[in-house]
Amino acid sequence: MVGSNRIVRGNKIVNPLGNADLDPQNEKELRRAIVENALEALQADVKEQTLFDQPI
Amino acid sequence: MLRVAHYLNQFFAGIGGEEKAEIGPQVRDGFLGPGRAIQNALAGRGEIVATVICGDNYFAENIEKASEEVIRLLAPFKPDLLIAGPAFAAGRYGIACGGVCRAVINQMRIPAVTGMHEENPGLDLYRNEVYIIPTEASARGMNVAIPKMVNLALRLATKEKIGRPSEEGYFPRGLLVNEISDQTGAERVVSMLLKKLRGQSFESEVPRPNYDHVTPAPRIDDIRRAKIALVTDGGLVPKGNPDEIEMRTATRFGKYGLKGVDSLRPEDYEVRHMGYDSVFVRQDPNRLVPVDVMRDLEREGAIGKLHEEFYSTTGVANIVETMRRMGEKIAEELKASGVSGVILTST
Amino acid sequence: MRLELHRVKIQDVQFGDKTRIDKGVLYISRSELQERLEGDKRLGRVEIELARPGEKCRIVEVADVVEPRVKIGSDREDFLGSAGRHTIIGEGKTCVLQGAAVVMSDCRGKGEATISRESHGYIIDMAGPGSEISPFGQTLNIVLLPQPKNKVSAMDYQAALKMAGLKAATYLARAGEDLKPDEIEIYDLPPLTEVMKGIENLPKITYIFQILSLQFEPVPGEPTLFGKQAEGIVPTILHPNQVLDGAITSPVPGLNVQTYQIQNHPMIEELYKRHGKDLCFAGVILTVAHNNVADFDRMADIAASLAKWVIGADAAVLTKTGGGAPELAMARTAQRCEQLGIKTAIAMLHMGADFKDAKYGASTIFSMPEVDAIVSMGVPYMELTLPSVERVIGGPLSLSEDPTTKGEMVQWMGSIKGSLCQLGSSRLTAVRY
Repeated sequence: MVGSNRIVRGNKIVNPLGNADLDPQNEKELRRAIVENALEALQADVKEQTLFDQPI
Repeated sequence: MLRVAHYLNQFFAGIGGEEKAEIGPQVRDGFLGPGRAIQNALAGRGEIVATVICGDNYFAENIEKASEEVIRLLAPFKPDLLIAGPAFAAGRYGIACGGVCRAVINQMRIPAVTGMHEENPGLDLYRNEVYIIPTEASARGMNVAIPKMVNLALRLATKEKIGRPSEEGYFPRGLLVNEISDQTGAERVVSMLLKKLRGQSFESEVPRPNYDHVTPAPRIDDIRRAKIALVTDGGLVPKGNPDEIEMRTATRFGKYGLKGVDSLRPEDYEVRHMGYDSVFVRQDPNRLVPVDVMRDLEREGAIGKLHEEFYSTTGVANIVETMRRMGEKIAEELKASGVSGVILTST
Repeated sequence: MRLELHRVKIQDVQFGDKTRIDKGVLYISRSELQERLEGDKRLGRVEIELARPGEKCRIVEVADVVEPRVKIGSDREDFLGSAGRHTIIGEGKTCVLQGAAVVMSDCRGKGEATISRESHGYIIDMAGPGSEISPFGQTLNIVLLPQPKNKVSAMDYQAALKMAGLKAATYLARAGEDLKPDEIEIYDLPPLTEVMKGIENLPKITYIFQILSLQFEPVPGEPTLFGKQAEGIVPTILHPNQVLDGAITSPVPGLNVQTYQIQNHPMIEELYKRHGKDLCFAGVILTVAHNNVADFDRMADIAASLAKWVIGADAAVLTKTGGGAPELAMARTAQRCEQLGIKTAIAMLHMGADFKDAKYGASTIFSMPEVDAIVSMGVPYMELTLPSVERVIGGPLSLSEDPTTKGEMVQWMGSIKGSLCQLGSSRLTAVRY
């Protein structure tokens, strides 16, 4: 059995939970937004593969 | 005239049913039960010199020991090849047939073939190493299975090159091997495209993957009391890579302590992964394993606790089976530690 | 646009007083070439070594390989657009020293490399099984060994190393520009507005060529496209002659693609061969494999639109570069094309495959129903045993003087430069048994 059911969009392959173009404070806020989205995904009922995209 | 050994379980040997499933390995001269059909199919090219029998339970519960006993019993007969079963859909029998074949291939260095239904659990366990012929689920398929098994076994014994699974009729063993085509990649792709354009049938050289469905775990009800763990396949390891995690086709994972760690420090870690440029993650490992943010959330009560270790391996050109087993082990450990949710970062 | 490749066949390479070609032997003035290359302030001393087919010699830390070529009659010190002052490329006459190759070896210590790799980097063996599976085991190799300069950053060194290779390639090819070539190959294709003339019934096929993967941070200053790094480009249409004549070099880390192979581009050669016979070769679209979904979706949309609405293609072939991740970018681009009615076929190596999987068909990392015509060009993880050698060239001293580098070694195919090719030159195909 293979496959992820709760998928959260990260930033990019080389920087999944960060953004080197931002200053450290804004970057941490971005990381937090993605992680909070992940926590939302953990609390969601899913029946199949679901992509959780955080609001821009 | 090839000397053939045949493996049967207690039922097909005519000894008994479930009640005799505990019997240990024993050997008889010549053929028994379905062995007759094998003997006929051999048509003079070989003869069954020995039939080794074992109870399904005995074998399934003592695979190593039973395999060794089977080999000891067969050795004096000096077989040139072995045929096991076929096992059809019988699970323990399939495992035994696969196990006997593998042992015989590795230790007696003779070819071995078995047959079973595609849902037999023995298939996935042994298909990498053993040639397995697809059969029906029930013994009604005996007459179709036997000639196929015999045919393949004879060819293995005479060291013929065995063609592709689809041509030869065995379950794909999974080995991806390079061959030399008579045309270059460029020639082949342009020709394939022209066929497609003309509406002609063409055969793609690469199949689509078909990953089956994983049942989703139920949601976390009370995240504020939950213990959450961080896992990654981005290859983040402590400096020096103490667990020697490979930079591709990883066979190991590591778990690294977060006790008292508020944020991952770049000087403590390195990345072993050949599939992405780790420059940003090395500058700040929290960009891969977000410990800093998780600690904030922990302090604020948004989650109950951050698990005191993060798990790491490397996701490049991996063997799916290996990763599945790693995942199972990691999940076991996390569950035992009371973790109810995981955030896994993949690169 | 008409390009003539004037091929001068090189039979041997040696050091000599003057750089010249005599009876098929390329003589190289070591000091003159060194001086030229050491002019780059980012580099220290540049050693130059020769490695010939059949010698028990191993070249390590191979960064790239370039075929010596120069524009005939151009007074500029340049690599066809990359290594100096620009000139129009893709037309006119270009001298090619066939049989010779400039090999660039990375001489830094291991340092803080951010892309994990083998300790000896990529290898070229000049004899034995390693030499049989790579074209570079059969070329007369001029190996450049530039020492890094103190305080020069890793990226600056890598860009300088690439430039050194291009400069050397141009310098050497000048020795052949006045000679009568052994062979002249002509590449002649009109612009898109006329390319269909007389062959309107043949399908228009465009080649979508992925030239850079952003799973690896691009080296600023690397002359990937017309002398500059290519990360910010939108899909761009080129005439195939521009690709053949030096518009593109293979960017770091050069996984299974070398500049040499781009110069002798197998897909472009094949499309040229069949132009007018069973297809109409309608241009080349360059793309970049991005490292996030938003960007590679954008790239796919733009590339597919160019193919459909500017070129008017009926079909497209696609190749990729980089490792496993760019499969997604290529597949997405093919999918978008299919959705616009353009039939596609892709050719790929299995950089991300599970080479033991029997159940899942895990040969690709994407799964799109429209992308159903796929050619396999081999899996890089097969192993072979390389015999011990007598001489090691390349890399830092600590590596070339290490006895294990000289010894017998088991290597995976992908670590032998040239053994596989993402652009379609090899006859390898991966089969699931």
